[in-house]
Amino acid sequence: MTAIVEAHALGKRYGARPALTDCTLHIPPGHVVGLVGPNGAGKSTLLKLACGLLTPTTGSINVLGGRPGAGPVQIAKVGYLAQDAPIEPALSIADHLKLGAHLNPRWDKAFAAARIEGLGLDPKQKAGKLSGGQRAQLALTIATGKHPDLLLLDEPVASLDPIARRDFLKLLMDTVAEHGTSVILSSHLISDLERVCDYLVVLASAQVRLAGEVEELTAAHRWITCTRRDADTLPAGVEVVSAKHTDRQSTFMVRSATPVPSGDWVSEPVGLEDLVLTYMERDTPAGRVAPQNLESTR
Amino acid sequence: MIEFRLDPNAGVASYLQIVQQVRQALLLGMLAEGDRLPTVKQVVGMVAINPNTVLKAYRELELEGLVVAKPGAGTFVTKSLAQPSITEHEPLRRELEAWLAKARAAGLTEAELDALMRTTVRDTADEEK
Amino acid sequence: MIWLTWRQFRFQATVTLTVLAAATIYIMTTGLKMHHAYAVDIAACPHPQIGCRFFLSFQNGYDAEQRLLEMLVLAAPALIGIFWGAPLIAAELERGSHRMLWNQSVTPNRWLAVKLAILALAALLTVGVLSLLLTWWSSPLDQRTDDRFGAMTFATRGITPLGYAAFAFALGTILGLLIRRTLPAMAVTLAVFIALQILFAAVLRPNLLPSTTATMPINATTLSQVQGIGTGSDPSGPVEIFGPGPAGAWILSATNVENSSGHEISGTQVGTCFNNQSLDLTGLGDCLAPYNLHIDYTYQPAGNYWPLQWLETGLYLAFAALLGGACFWRIRRHRD
Repeated sequence: MTAIVEAHALGKRYGARPALTDCTLHIPPGHVVGLVGPNGAGKSTLLKLACGLLTPTTGSINVLGGRPGAGPVQIAKVGYLAQDAPIEPALSIADHLKLGAHLNPRWDKAFAAARIEGLGLDPKQKAGKLSGGQRAQLALTIATGKHPDLLLLDEPVASLDPIARRDFLKLLMDTVAEHGTSVILSSHLISDLERVCDYLVVLASAQVRLAGEVEELTAAHRWITCTRRDADTLPAGVEVVSAKHTDRQSTFMVRSATPVPSGDWVSEPVGLEDLVLTYMERDTPAGRVAPQNLESTR
Repeated sequence: MIEFRLDPNAGVASYLQIVQQVRQALLLGMLAEGDRLPTVKQVVGMVAINPNTVLKAYRELELEGLVVAKPGAGTFVTKSLAQPSITEHEPLRRELEAWLAKARAAGLTEAELDALMRTTVRDTADEEK
Repeated sequence: MIWLTWRQFRFQATVTLTVLAAATIYIMTTGLKMHHAYAVDIAACPHPQIGCRFFLSFQNGYDAEQRLLEMLVLAAPALIGIFWGAPLIAAELERGSHRMLWNQSVTPNRWLAVKLAILALAALLTVGVLSLLLTWWSSPLDQRTDDRFGAMTFATRGITPLGYAAFAFALGTILGLLIRRTLPAMAVTLAVFIALQILFAAVLRPNLLPSTTATMPINATTLSQVQGIGTGSDPSGPVEIFGPGPAGAWILSATNVENSSGHEISGTQVGTCFNNQSLDLTGLGDCLAPYNLHIDYTYQPAGNYWPLQWLETGLYLAFAALLGGACFWRIRRHRD
């Protein structure tokens, strides 16, 4: 099966500033992918490269087997919802649906109309007068009305209140359940990711820090707590992702393909949030990265 | 129909929470043999959750022998876990209701009731050992 | 895509049609009255070819209105550039709605092509109608004044307004795309458009075709065909010829009256002729002939009017096409 996103050494610079460097990904189809990272990490850039709004400076990216933005057929396969859910403020909701019908050969009029009605929106209302949550719902309807094979959503719920957030995600998951759409959803709300995502991509400082199925990642990582010791005294085959020491105690996050053998340590599972934070904060040759603007409901 | 709830802070994976809640429903008799579990779409409408997670939970339940998936029709309960003992003990239940009425009239708050019952259950269990 | 273009352009279209309708009604009613009055006056004039006394007052009567209408036709392309061109892409970029639009199974190229084609056509039609109406309205006045090459006249009659409209529209569009904000794009569009208009009028237009240089000797024959000769307020100053050259020509430059060795003469040197009040232009010519005077002048002949119109329009259309092409190139490389 074609990977939904295939990137090789993908890079994008704006002048001197690198927005994304050396990004390699093979994202399999049939997943809801969480793209997480602090501001400026490159999430928006990656999504725009995937839908063809930007062209790579280095490397390549293929989406659903084609070049992003390459023609009407490719554009029809990929739905994109930009940050802040842009719509045409002067056009009414009904006009937006007409827009969708006119510009998309695969537009499903009944589906879109049913969605709008289900949301309780008045088709005659001008889109500029909608609340944030309603705009997001309208924009999602426009993006999904053409039944794309892949949906790209750039921080779709960041500025929504908790109820609107929940409603939006329900609608999104309904689309996935109904049509089997693959989704890539960027956010810094880790709790929402846990609920809906089964594949994770962690970005920080313009680089991919971690990518994989959530289940495999959580199964492969463990917290090891023990008396103060060096990392190399841990069993072989265990990769140390992070290490913290006090004068008496050491805490390691390790990654291991096989279960960690027992020894004089306590081994505990790693939650998704800890996993993401650790990989984001990790020292890299480029320097330490501190997470900014990360929200958590914990 | 059974309502699902997801608690992100529970430290338990989403699919396991679904499994647990189905088991609990079976235990309490809210689901009986032959009942149909909510469809994936229905669950997604209740809680914003990845459809794959629901499918995974249902598969797990199927492996445990509690449900069976019939393609095109849905997922159905095959085994009831409801302990007949719970439904049979009506007299005990009525006695408990009377006691609760007295306790509430005496001014106990819900938390105090809860604490009183728990400690008594535990203490008497220890005694019987 | 056509539906979308219309739907987003509805407001500008309504305003434009309203203005156009109002202008048409005004031009037609006043024009018909003017043409009728002119016909009556011409009929009463015994020798139209020589000159009619009524004409000066007739012209004065309509001078202000003519100026107003000329301003309208001159402003129309600029307004099109500012209100149709500049916001076309800039407004979408400013509010980010391009990110929604260009995800609707239509490539940005096609989106742009349809919008440009429809709006450019509308621009040409609007300005074409205005220019046509003005040319018709002004015909009696233009026939008499014979000032086709004047800056205002050249730019508001014939086909040049079409070139300006296409150019202004394309200019607004590319500036909107590059600057990405509507108001600054509008301002720069206006500035560039005006600058180019001035450049053409002052420097380029006279040189689009090679001009002719000629020498006119001062004698009875030549002087009888010019509009006048004189020194201005200072009788001892240089002497000028007014309206030299063949009929309908566009005089680009002319020297003052010079003698055979190329020096300017002063009015006092030919005082005997000038002070003789009884002489008309022909008589003056006879009087001055012995002095062997002449002027040198450069001009575009009357026949070059339409070639110049076509050349200038062609150049503006070429610029428009270039800028339009630049829009496509830019959108291909940089869509966000």
